[in-house]
Amino acid sequence: MSKNLSELSGRKGIVDNLFDKMGQASTAEGTPTQEKLDELAEEFLIGKSSAYGTITAYDFMKPENKGKKAYVCNGSACLCAGTQPEVQKELENHYKPEEIGHMTCLGRCHENGAFNVGGKNYSSKSASEITKIIKGDGSNNDNYIVKSNKEVLTAPCDDFDSHYTLLKNILTQDSAKVLDEIKLSNIRGRGGAGFPMGFKWESCRNETSGDKFIICNADEGDPGAYSDRYLLEERPHSVLFGMMIAGYCTQAKWGILYIRAEYPESVEIVQNAIDELRANNLLGENINGSGFDFDFKIIKAQGAYICGEETALINSIEGQRPEVRTRPPYPTQQGLFNKPTIVNNVETLAAVYWIIKNGGEAYAALGTEKSTGTKLVCLDSFFNNPGIYEVEMGTSLSSVINDFGGGFKSPVKALHIGGPLGGLVPASKINDLNIDFESFSSNGFLLGHASIVSVPENFPMIDYLEHLFDFAAYESCGKCFPCRLGTTRAHEMLRKANTSDYKISEELFNDLLSTLEQGSLCAHGGGIPLPAKNALQYFKEELSNHFEK
Amino acid sequence: MSKIAYINDKPFEINKGETMLSFLRRHQGQNSVPTLCDAPNLDPFGSCRVCSVDVAFEKGGKTKAQASCHTPISEGIHIYPDSDNIQKLRKNIVELVLTDHPLDCLTCEVNGNCELQDVAASVGIREVRYPEGKNHLDRTKDLSHPYMTSDLSKCINCYRCVRACDEVQGELVLNMAGRGFDAHIIKGFDETFMSSDCVSCGACSQACPTSAISDVFQSKAIKAEEKTRTICTYCGVGCNLEVSTKNGEILSIQAPYEAEANQGHTCLKGRYAFKFYNHPDRLKSPMIKRNGEFEEVSWDEAYDHIASELTRIKSANGPDAIAGISSARTPNEENYLMQKFIRAVVGTNNIDCCARVCHSPTALGMQRAFGTGAATNSIEDLDHTDCIIVIGANPTDAHPVTGARIKQQFMKGVTSIVIDPRKIELAKYATYHLQLRPGTNVALLNMMFYYIISEGVEDSKFIENRTEGYEEFKEGILKLDIDELEKITGVDKNLVKEAALAYANSKAAMEFHGLGVTEHSQGTFTVQLIADLAMITGNIGKKGAGVNPLRGQNNVQGAADMGAQPHQGAGYLDVTDPEMNKRYNAFYGADVPSHIGYKIPEMFDAAISGDLKALWIIGEDVVQTDPNTNKVIKAMESLELLVVQELFMTETAMRATVILPGSSFLEKEGTFTNGERRIQKVQKVVEPIEGTKPDGQIIVDIMNKMGYPQPDYTAKGMLEEISQIVPFFAGVTWDTLGDNGKQWPVLPDGTDTQMLHIEEFKRGKGKFHYFDFKESREIEINGKEFPYIITTNRELEHYNCGAMTRRTGNVEILTEDVLLIHPDDAAKEGITNGDFVCVESPRGKVDIKAAVTTDMKPGILSSTFHFPEIMLNIITSDEHCSEAMCPEYKVVSCRIRKSKGKHKVLAQA
Repeated sequence: MSKNLSELSGRKGIVDNLFDKMGQASTAEGTPTQEKLDELAEEFLIGKSSAYGTITAYDFMKPENKGKKAYVCNGSACLCAGTQPEVQKELENHYKPEEIGHMTCLGRCHENGAFNVGGKNYSSKSASEITKIIKGDGSNNDNYIVKSNKEVLTAPCDDFDSHYTLLKNILTQDSAKVLDEIKLSNIRGRGGAGFPMGFKWESCRNETSGDKFIICNADEGDPGAYSDRYLLEERPHSVLFGMMIAGYCTQAKWGILYIRAEYPESVEIVQNAIDELRANNLLGENINGSGFDFDFKIIKAQGAYICGEETALINSIEGQRPEVRTRPPYPTQQGLFNKPTIVNNVETLAAVYWIIKNGGEAYAALGTEKSTGTKLVCLDSFFNNPGIYEVEMGTSLSSVINDFGGGFKSPVKALHIGGPLGGLVPASKINDLNIDFESFSSNGFLLGHASIVSVPENFPMIDYLEHLFDFAAYESCGKCFPCRLGTTRAHEMLRKANTSDYKISEELFNDLLSTLEQGSLCAHGGGIPLPAKNALQYFKEELSNHFEK
Repeated sequence: MSKIAYINDKPFEINKGETMLSFLRRHQGQNSVPTLCDAPNLDPFGSCRVCSVDVAFEKGGKTKAQASCHTPISEGIHIYPDSDNIQKLRKNIVELVLTDHPLDCLTCEVNGNCELQDVAASVGIREVRYPEGKNHLDRTKDLSHPYMTSDLSKCINCYRCVRACDEVQGELVLNMAGRGFDAHIIKGFDETFMSSDCVSCGACSQACPTSAISDVFQSKAIKAEEKTRTICTYCGVGCNLEVSTKNGEILSIQAPYEAEANQGHTCLKGRYAFKFYNHPDRLKSPMIKRNGEFEEVSWDEAYDHIASELTRIKSANGPDAIAGISSARTPNEENYLMQKFIRAVVGTNNIDCCARVCHSPTALGMQRAFGTGAATNSIEDLDHTDCIIVIGANPTDAHPVTGARIKQQFMKGVTSIVIDPRKIELAKYATYHLQLRPGTNVALLNMMFYYIISEGVEDSKFIENRTEGYEEFKEGILKLDIDELEKITGVDKNLVKEAALAYANSKAAMEFHGLGVTEHSQGTFTVQLIADLAMITGNIGKKGAGVNPLRGQNNVQGAADMGAQPHQGAGYLDVTDPEMNKRYNAFYGADVPSHIGYKIPEMFDAAISGDLKALWIIGEDVVQTDPNTNKVIKAMESLELLVVQELFMTETAMRATVILPGSSFLEKEGTFTNGERRIQKVQKVVEPIEGTKPDGQIIVDIMNKMGYPQPDYTAKGMLEEISQIVPFFAGVTWDTLGDNGKQWPVLPDGTDTQMLHIEEFKRGKGKFHYFDFKESREIEINGKEFPYIITTNRELEHYNCGAMTRRTGNVEILTEDVLLIHPDDAAKEGITNGDFVCVESPRGKVDIKAAVTTDMKPGILSSTFHFPEIMLNIITSDEHCSEAMCPEYKVVSCRIRKSKGKHKVLAQA
């Protein structure tokens, strides 16, 4: 976090964006040339070390990415499904091993076998299919079920005109009143933290700066989650609409969608939707004569899970290293380019359309008192009906699993719900939980993004823990001591215990988890102990071979 | 009522806006909370987490660990800074750190002064329980640089170096690369200190809590017996230094964090370029030139010789055949003594100092406009300004610490205007860069006035209440032909307009200028116009505003304050005023003349014409640094007596008839006055090198020798005398100056002054003056035949003639003077980067290596005179400011061609 770098990057505005340029400079070779970096450092006055420091922190810009042609998904769902060794092996028939890299979660958790070649995502279960894809004959379509017990986000799209007639109508109203509807809805952030959206918007609205930004956090990095991908690809206008309303309520003039590189199709679809808005004169200055100015910019992420954390995401857009900032100041006070900024998750923004259309009160009537509205839940390929289900908050987990998911294909011993930092719910606790923030936290879990990854009965828990800490260490930004060192040490101990007769001291491991939980700067290091603690509690016996008192 | 929060359930007062850490430290002591990533001059960062404390909303309530360094304290909360949980947390974090840190404390450079060691000890680490894992202990050291070193196996990733490079120096040379456990410090593109863009300021070394980044002097080692606080000798910023010594030898230098002038920062000159002080080249014996050879003599013999020569010349030619040039490098007390010697003992006003060749127009111009010839505001005002205009100054090279502070503001986006012919570093960050042709400052400022007045953005209230002469000024401005001025300056009038309006519309706008303003034929006029600019916009007498000359040499402000100038005595009293003359006579107990003496250029003319027979120069290499070298040499060689008091055998010393070995700032005491009028204590760090004497004592000796009773030199004694004659030193005493000095005027009760002209100007009303642009005679006479303009500048690594810096590691970083030339000009003349170029002016020619750069404008060249191998002043001219006689170093007509083989035309003896 450098205030100077934020300012220097901000001088060029969002259109002429440093991070964007770094990304473009990496497209050809997988990493920018030193000459190109030097040029960018000069142009933006950021110094060579800042340019180099940044690109080395992203999977798809770092020097090691040079020459990569294919990427195998190594997310939790694909791991548990056991599909990836096959994919890797088959890809090696076509590429040199050094040309194959990894991407963590391509959002194909519903069918697995996921990989990326030629900038497109595929899922495949057979070698012949892979050969076909590489030859250019394969389809990159995927299929998943979308169902609901209350259609808010999954409701059929209104046609373009009626969708934006609503916007035009809103732009004639007092923005304070519009914000009141959001507050009335009591909608809480769907990215994981559950922070009230109305409160966030209001605090940004109260800032006096002339420049403000609305950022859509579309860096859906949690393995197991693909609901944001669904919304971006199937409901792009709901997301864009939500951002425009946020802009209108806070006097922000720019909406920025930070979309992960692992979702190339999403980028394309959202860009088309933005172009459609522009073609209909719904972007730019003085939209529809309302005096409201707004425009969009897509920033393609470059492979750093930590960018799901809002301040790391802001740093990323600025072309800085994706490191977490201290708070205060909060982004609504000093965010992108040190200007007031709202960062909302895709799913939260997508709900705005329904709220505006039906009123905040109607939304608040859905779900529970503290967790209003609906929630998208992603089910992976262990379910009989993998897919995305929109349920009212408060719906029981067992109903989601059985009524919607149709139960499991094969026995499952635990569900990892809410991403890697979410809780590890043993099968025995399924009946105790409802889909809402309170139910999960009071039972010692976390609703998070509400994505569900199944851990099959025969999958060793020590393997799963090792995988989790491998992921946590690999994706740690490295800023705070506990996470930078602690995730690596935890991974090393788990690996050692898993591959030798080494036994982890329970006291040391608990000290480490407590240090991560209490000491970490953000929820990455602070959150990873939760599933580990759940595992130690609920799978004590299975793990006892690897630990000693 | 004040707000409170609780520490271990006891109530304590909260200061508004403070963090938990500062709250705890204020009440429990500086060492009450261990930290690793926190540093006094850096923003909270929150990486180490060692400062975590337990926080509850109510007494004994549910606690949550929070990092105290970046969490604001709020009313009513309960902090438990040392709960069992917190003690364990800290210990666990430090244990993790030690899993990737060499445990070789006993042989480590910072053993005993390592923050990690201290924190580890305080949290009570006894073992590291983790099995051996990945680590970074095999990282290799970087010993590429003459000063900076790194051993990143000792790095704990606290980012303090990265932040110092960013937040203090603004250089962005250091950053982190990779992520997670692989995150590691890099310089530039992961290169060495030497090959990177590092400016060697050492802020990273001072910031590093371990020895991961350090310097060749091992400045964090605890070897020192003693630490002495003193003031840097290298420029007008007045950085406070903390000098470590052992056995009478200097080990290293660091910067005190609480120093107001530099806030824990210095540049490479202040921090690292001290090894000149005991360099073998130091002059160590008085010498008299006999038959063209210097002979070492005793002090007595030298004194006798000088005294008898001065007496002889005085009786044969009168006192006005004798002159002195005092040194702006030496303390106030020595300057005072030198002018007193020349006036009261020799009996002439022929005393001047290097202010003549740098800021004499500033002093004169500001006196004419305001009544006082010194900076109106303080550097600290940079934190309170909305707009900064830098005119003809390159502070990131010449005043690096103030430059870095200005750069911080530029980077953070404060409205910023640079008026300079070169694309200097600050220009790259500025909102507006008005890249004018050298010598056209008056025309450019007039354009600004035109827009300020015609757009009606002047501060009418200020003009009416506080100033005079505005109507005539306005009349002059409104008659101007803007299109013609646009042609003259070469700057787009719309850009000038935008900049002028931005300056005028700012709430508080701060001006800085340097020699690019003064070293011109219209130098004084430009200063007067700068004063006009501040007055027309009401930017005087308020915080974050003012006219702030960046004084060049460390004590050039003080040298003039002390009367080392021919028209004003100590305290700027007019020597021609009978009242003042009476006052001086009475005070010195001697008859002091009441006619103005020679200014430096007049001294040279008088020497050549035979009117001046004897000259005494202290610490000033006029041969290398004054313009038109051949003429200066001729003047030196025309003298019957040339006494040079020096540290080294400079180009001037070589031509002396008597050499007296003086001592450096590290070997004596006194006070320096920095560019913001801050009088600060120079304290003796080591004894004078054997064979040398403090310059003040030398003057006292000769005064006594010539029959004037002057007590032996002590800073305290001299200040007692000075405070009685210099009005604005009335309350200055050695014992009460304190660590951070005082800004003059200092009232008899000791109160000092951060800002001048708050209610009214020293002269009553501020005076507007209008001036027409006039082309320099240099261009008018020589412009056709010599179509290029060369303008002189300074480089960060070297200071003036380089006598000191060329005898330090700095010379390995910047090895020579070069000629900056635009690629178009280079192409036109068939010159490529690194070629030797013959630069010829009507005065002579020099050969110098080309550095092709788009920082220059076509037709404009630039170079430095730090190296005697080049002697750039061979080509500079006799033109000077019409008012203050400051030489026009900045506009020199020349022509260039690729050298026919590397050769150099040395000044003819």
